[in-house]
Amino acid sequence: MVLSGWEAVFFWIFSIAAIFAGLLTVMARNAVHSALFLISSLVSVAALFVLAGAEFIAGVQILVYVGGVMVLFLFVIMLVNVGAEERGNQPTMNKPRQVTTSMIFCLLLVLGLLFAINVGYRGLQKRNPTAAAQLQDQTLKPGATGTTNITTDTQRVGNSLYRFAALPFEIASVLLLVAIIGSVMLARTLKQEAAVDDLAPDVLAAESAREPELAGVTATAEEIE
Amino acid sequence: MLTLFAPGLIFLFQEESRSGVMLESIKNPDLSRFLMIGALLFVIGVGGVLTRRNIIVIFMSIELILNAANLNFIAFSRYLQATGNLNAVAGQVFTVFVIVVAAAEAAIGLGIVIALYRNKETIWIDEIDLLKW
Repeated sequence: MVLSGWEAVFFWIFSIAAIFAGLLTVMARNAVHSALFLISSLVSVAALFVLAGAEFIAGVQILVYVGGVMVLFLFVIMLVNVGAEERGNQPTMNKPRQVTTSMIFCLLLVLGLLFAINVGYRGLQKRNPTAAAQLQDQTLKPGATGTTNITTDTQRVGNSLYRFAALPFEIASVLLLVAIIGSVMLARTLKQEAAVDDLAPDVLAAESAREPELAGVTATAEEIE
Repeated sequence: MLTLFAPGLIFLFQEESRSGVMLESIKNPDLSRFLMIGALLFVIGVGGVLTRRNIIVIFMSIELILNAANLNFIAFSRYLQATGNLNAVAGQVFTVFVIVVAAAEAAIGLGIVIALYRNKETIWIDEIDLLKW
């Protein structure tokens, strides 16, 4: 697997964009800026996926991450009202000593990872020299106009997903269902919990003595009784 | 932060410049370049998790880490395709599951953030210390 020509140029452009956007995600003071930088980092990584021949995953990445998860992030940032806390000139990082320790740890981690990749990849090339140096061997069928080639990536991923990973696929859908229900349950207010008769009447009475916002709910509950 | 990664970036090309194939490696990036980009993104994410105080930015850094792992999966999948491996799309299939888990994690995590903000009125992690004594 070796990229060449314009593919290499775009590889470097998008990888540098991904790394810089990632750095700015971590460094930005405002959480909204962080979210926007993270979006550009994710889009750059999606472009790298396209360069690696995974068009379906690139599409899923943009649809799910940028379209779904990041919108959720932005909504939550708006809900918890970060702006008010940012304006108070609070430090965005931990205490200096903690930051120094983490930086040293990250430095060691990056050195170790790059060393491992260098050594490991050279070993891989030595073990299998033809495969590592092999150029792009995919022969794609040309499209109707002849200017582009048709990729079969989505077809192959779907085939593999349903043939070899049907049970994990179903488990993943159950996981998503649980996540939806769990987040709805977590984000409910006390008033909403009381409003769906989740609390026993005596607990509700005790709670409404403490929480003034529950007074209306108890009144309606008594009216019903 | 930039000074942190400068030695790593020098190290990135150290070996190649010695043997004179650095330019070749930049002109024709291969599997190891994908892995290096993934490693750098991963370390940036780890740094974000360890240094930031804002819990939402910590969640974003976790997304960055998961994305770096996805990049590695895709790169290896492509590498195996080039070597003619039969079930080379397994990496892409696994990436789909990673994305699913990331979406579920984000939904649950942000639900917890909202519940936390409602009860503690804060998103700074050093002020969330109920379990610390």
